[in-house]
Amino acid sequence: MSGTQKYPGLPLLPPPFAAQQPPLAKVVEEKCIACDRCLPVCFFDALRIEERPGHALGRSAVVTAAHCTGCGLCFETCPVDAFVWVPDMSSSPSRPGTRI
Amino acid sequence: MLTTLFLGMELRSPVIVASGPASHDVNQISLAERHGAGAVVLKTACSDKYQHMRFWPRPRYKLLDWDKQIAGRSKQFSLYSYEQGYSGSLEDYWEFIRVCKRHAGIPIVGSIFADEAGDWAAMAAEVEMAGADAIELDISSPHRPGSLEFDTTSVAAMRAVVGRVHIPVLAKLAPGTNVLKQAEAAEQAGAHAVTLCNRLQGIDVDIESQRPILHGYYAGIGGPWAKYYTMRHIAEAYRTVHIPISGTGGAITGEDVVKYILVGASTVQVLSAILINGWETIARMNEEITGYMQRKGVDRLESIRGQAVASMTPPDNIVRWSGEPLDGTRNIWKEPGP
Ligand SMILES: Cc1cc2nc3c(=O)[nH]c(=O)nc-3n(C[C@H](O)[C@H](O)[C@H](O)COP(=O)(O)O)c2cc1C
Ligand code: SF4
Ligand code: SF4
Repeated sequence: MSGTQKYPGLPLLPPPFAAQQPPLAKVVEEKCIACDRCLPVCFFDALRIEERPGHALGRSAVVTAAHCTGCGLCFETCPVDAFVWVPDMSSSPSRPGTRI
Repeated sequence: MLTTLFLGMELRSPVIVASGPASHDVNQISLAERHGAGAVVLKTACSDKYQHMRFWPRPRYKLLDWDKQIAGRSKQFSLYSYEQGYSGSLEDYWEFIRVCKRHAGIPIVGSIFADEAGDWAAMAAEVEMAGADAIELDISSPHRPGSLEFDTTSVAAMRAVVGRVHIPVLAKLAPGTNVLKQAEAAEQAGAHAVTLCNRLQGIDVDIESQRPILHGYYAGIGGPWAKYYTMRHIAEAYRTVHIPISGTGGAITGEDVVKYILVGASTVQVLSAILINGWETIARMNEEITGYMQRKGVDRLESIRGQAVASMTPPDNIVRWSGEPLDGTRNIWKEPGP
């Protein structure tokens, strides 16, 4: 189903770089309509709305990279698919081969 | 009105925050408290042997079949996720408990996972020493290694912990065909309560890439639909075991909490609804339970516990009628029309 919806939310697969660098959520500010829907689902205190004088709406959601655990839940809430994954270049490579 | 006596603790509500990402940080405890939770079960800490479980894949949560109701009003979703233990070290976890206890006005339940009985007991002793009011043994995570057998590992773990600590011990069991036997085994091993049930393991597939979604392996899966089998497990256990039951799985409204109590639960642990619909879920549940009690003239939840089990109809007594047509015709073939 997810792939056929207008706003599919979280992509079904991790971004290609996820095996090398941990993904962080990022808001594409030009897309954000500052609807606040993503804020309450972040249980890691990583989302806030900031003033953006140049933005059409004057404000945008922003991810605090240092708090983001890359859980993916905010992607699901966004009605305009404003979230993207970016590699966290400050972090050492993730631990591959996690035993199950 | 909602006050619930549970394992010697006086809870101001039967609604408890279940172990998971809503109880992974000290600052979430005040949120839980402010929204009316009766207690909090902290995120499960894994023994050092399972250090890898302290690391999580990214992403690790996907909402499937979601009705996308915002403002805390979703009624349908499946939360598909792969998140294992508490992300810090054991030292961090003991300090987590200490800080929670220093600031919280509601009971704090520690939660642990290990394999060997000695590790379970040693960790339980630390949880007690850090000040937790009770301890829950996560012997049922959908992500636990498949090699751990209930009859040996889990029973030994429960025995070892009960023998070591003085705080109440809850055994959190997995749903499925064995839950009743396991609840009986938990009672025999000395557990003071059972938590029924953890989530199921499932898998979803991306048909474009033909691969399992997200991390590429089975995931924990739950949602409001889980309430029906959860209630059945609670009802069965309520009939059979004599220790209190903490229900968990699928509750999203105060009505659900009332139902869990009617089938025998003493408390109800909630997580997914808080994640999807927000912390206000707890306050709303409390209001709805209170509304129900006022409408029905119930002053203590204890007085209705297990009512629906007491009035269940055994299969032999179910009123049955013929499923045949009155005129007795059968096996008369009619050609299907064009
Ligand atoms: C993301 C996530 C993480 C969880 N982590 C734990 C855990 O660490 N320990 C545990 O005992 N249960 C864990 N659970 C299970 C919950 O505590 C709860 O029992 C279960 O989700 C059923 O309740 P719910 O339908 O209200 O979510 C987790 C559940 C989810 C969704
Ligand atoms: S990915 Fe998760 S942790 Fe990161 S901003 Fe989104 S909701 Fe918060
Ligand atoms: S949900 Fe999307 S559009 Fe709404 S505030 Fe968050 S990022 Fe912006």
